[in-house]
Amino acid sequence: MRVRFWIAALVALGIAAVLAVALGPVALSPAEVWSAIVGRGDPTVSAIVLTVRLPRVALAACVGAALGMSGAAMQGTLRNALAEPYLLGVSGGAAVGAVIGVALRASVGFGIPLAAFAGAAVATGVVLGVARAAGGGRADVRLLLMGGVVVGAFANAVIMVAYAVAPPETVRGALWWMMGSVDAADWRRVGWLALYALVGGGVLLAWARDIDALALGDEGAAALGVDVERAARRAFLAAALLAAATVAAAGLVGFVGLIVPHIVRRAGLRQHRPLIIGAAIVGSTLVVAADLVARIARPPAELPLGAVTALLGVPFFLWQLRRLAAQ
Amino acid sequence: MVVRDDYGDTVAIGSVRPDRIVSLNPATTAMLFAMGDGARVVGRTRWDTYPPGVRSVTDVGDGLRPNVEAVLAQRPDLVVLYASSDDRAAAEAFRRAGVATVSVRVDRVGDLARTLHLLGLVVGDSIGAAAVADSVLATIAGVRRSTAGLDPVTIVWQVDESPFRVIGGGSYLSELIADAGGRNLYADLADPSPQVSIEDVLSRDPDAVLTSPALARTMRSDPSWRKWLQDSHHRVVVPDTSLVGMPSVRMGEATVQLAALLHPARAR
Repeated sequence: MRVRFWIAALVALGIAAVLAVALGPVALSPAEVWSAIVGRGDPTVSAIVLTVRLPRVALAACVGAALGMSGAAMQGTLRNALAEPYLLGVSGGAAVGAVIGVALRASVGFGIPLAAFAGAAVATGVVLGVARAAGGGRADVRLLLMGGVVVGAFANAVIMVAYAVAPPETVRGALWWMMGSVDAADWRRVGWLALYALVGGGVLLAWARDIDALALGDEGAAALGVDVERAARRAFLAAALLAAATVAAAGLVGFVGLIVPHIVRRAGLRQHRPLIIGAAIVGSTLVVAADLVARIARPPAELPLGAVTALLGVPFFLWQLRRLAAQ
Repeated sequence: MVVRDDYGDTVAIGSVRPDRIVSLNPATTAMLFAMGDGARVVGRTRWDTYPPGVRSVTDVGDGLRPNVEAVLAQRPDLVVLYASSDDRAAAEAFRRAGVATVSVRVDRVGDLARTLHLLGLVVGDSIGAAAVADSVLATIAGVRRSTAGLDPVTIVWQVDESPFRVIGGGSYLSELIADAGGRNLYADLADPSPQVSIEDVLSRDPDAVLTSPALARTMRSDPSWRKWLQDSHHRVVVPDTSLVGMPSVRMGEATVQLAALLHPARAR
C-alpha cells in the first residue's frame, strides 16, 4: 500500500509537470517542446518553454509543496483535520504583511517574505490567543476555525482599505495577492521559495516526532516527555513561515493545505515524517495541475489560481465538516 | 545608439528595424497606426478599438499583466508596454525571452510628443512620429486660441458611479477641458480619477456634468441629481466615448468636440 502510494504520487507529479510544460495558451507539439528543453529548435518556442512555462511550473510546485507541508504540520499540531493556513487566517495575515512590504518597496527575495512572515505570526498569535482565551485555556477546534475565518476577513478588509487609499503605483497589485497567481514566475523567485520550502520543511521533518506526540493529545504528548506548549508553538510557527513564503511568492492560494494531508493519510501514512514528505509531493501535483487549469481554461485570459483551488477546496471542506459532525 | 524608456531600461536603436510589433496599450497601438506603421503590428490588447483596422490584428488578451506566452507566440521583435508597476514583471520576462521591450507611460497631453518621439526612434519611423505629434498638438493649440477669450464653463466629468469617480487634475482630460474653454472643478486633485462624494459634486455646483451615455441615463433617474437638473442653466454633456477614451492621436479631435459641446453658440 505504502510503496504503491509513493510510486503513484511521484508518477502523478511527473505527469502533471509534463502536461503543464506541454500545454498552455499557445499550442506547441511535444516534439517542439522537447527540442526547446534540450536546447535546440525555434527561438520563440524555446523562449515560451524555458522562460515562461518551466519557471512557472517550478514555482507552482514549490508553492504546492510548501502549502502541503504547512497544512500537514498544522493539522497534526492542532489535532484538527480542518486546520490549514488559509482557513486559520495565517495566509491572510501574511498577505497584509506582504502588501505592507510592497508599499515600502521591500525586496522580493527577503523583505517581502519577512513582512509576510511577520503578518502571519501576528495573525497566528491573535487566532491562537483568542481561541485559547475563549476556550478556557484549550484551543477548541471550532473556535480556532471561527477565529481564523474572522481574522482572514479582517485581513481582506485591511488590504481593501490599503488598495483604496494608497497611491495607485504602490499597491496596485494588492488585489492580485488576494486571488493568488504564479504568473510572475522567474528562476530567482523559484530559487528563494525553494530555499524557504527546504528550510521550513527540513525543520518540520526534524520535529516530526514531536508533532506525532502532539497528535496523540496533550496528556499523551506530556507522558512521552514532550514540552507540549513549546513543541506546538514552534511547529506552528515553522508551518506559518512556509505559508507566508508562498503568500509572498504567489499570493493567497487556499485549501491546498487542507486537501493534501487528507489524501496522504488515506494512503495509510500516519507518522508525520512520511506524511509531511508525502504532502509536499501531492501538494506540488495539486498546484501544478490547478495552475494548468487556470492557464488553459480560457486563453489568453487566466483564471486566478486561488479561485481554482477554492473551487476544489470548498466542497472538500464541507464534505469533511459533515464527516466530522457525523462522528 | 541607446535610449531609455519610462522604466529607465535601455533600448537599443537602429541595429534591427522591428517588423513584428506587439503593442500592449491601446494608446500606443493607435499611435503606431497613425504613423503609418500599422502593418507591422502583429498583436494588440482585447481593449483596442481604434483605428477600426486594428480589429483584424491578433488579440493577445489584457494589456496590463499580459499573458507573456500568448504575446511570445506572435513572434514579436518588439513589445510596447504601458510602464506601470503592474507590467514590470512582464517587461523582465520579455527581455529574458530575448525580445526588445519599450515601456512608456502615456497619461498626459505632454506624454504624447515624448512617446511618439521614442516610438519613432525604436520602430525606425521618426518622420511619421513627428508628423502625428505636430498635427495633434497643432489642433489642440488651435482650439485653445479659439476659446481663449470665452468665459470658461465649469464642469465635473463623471467616469464611474459606484464608487463615484470624476476626472481629476492628473488626467489628460482635465487638460483638454481647459484647452476647450472649460474649467474642471476637480483640477485641484492630483489623482487622474479621484473618488468623490455626490454631495461634494453638488456643492461645487458645476455648469455642466460630462459623462458617458449609460451614466447619463442613471443620472436622470437618480433623485440626488433632480434639483441640479431642474436648473435650466445646468447641462448634461455626453462626449463621444471613442474620441475621449485614451490619451493618444485623437486628442486633437476630442478637444474640437469638447469645445463645440461646451460652447455650442461658438461652434461652426
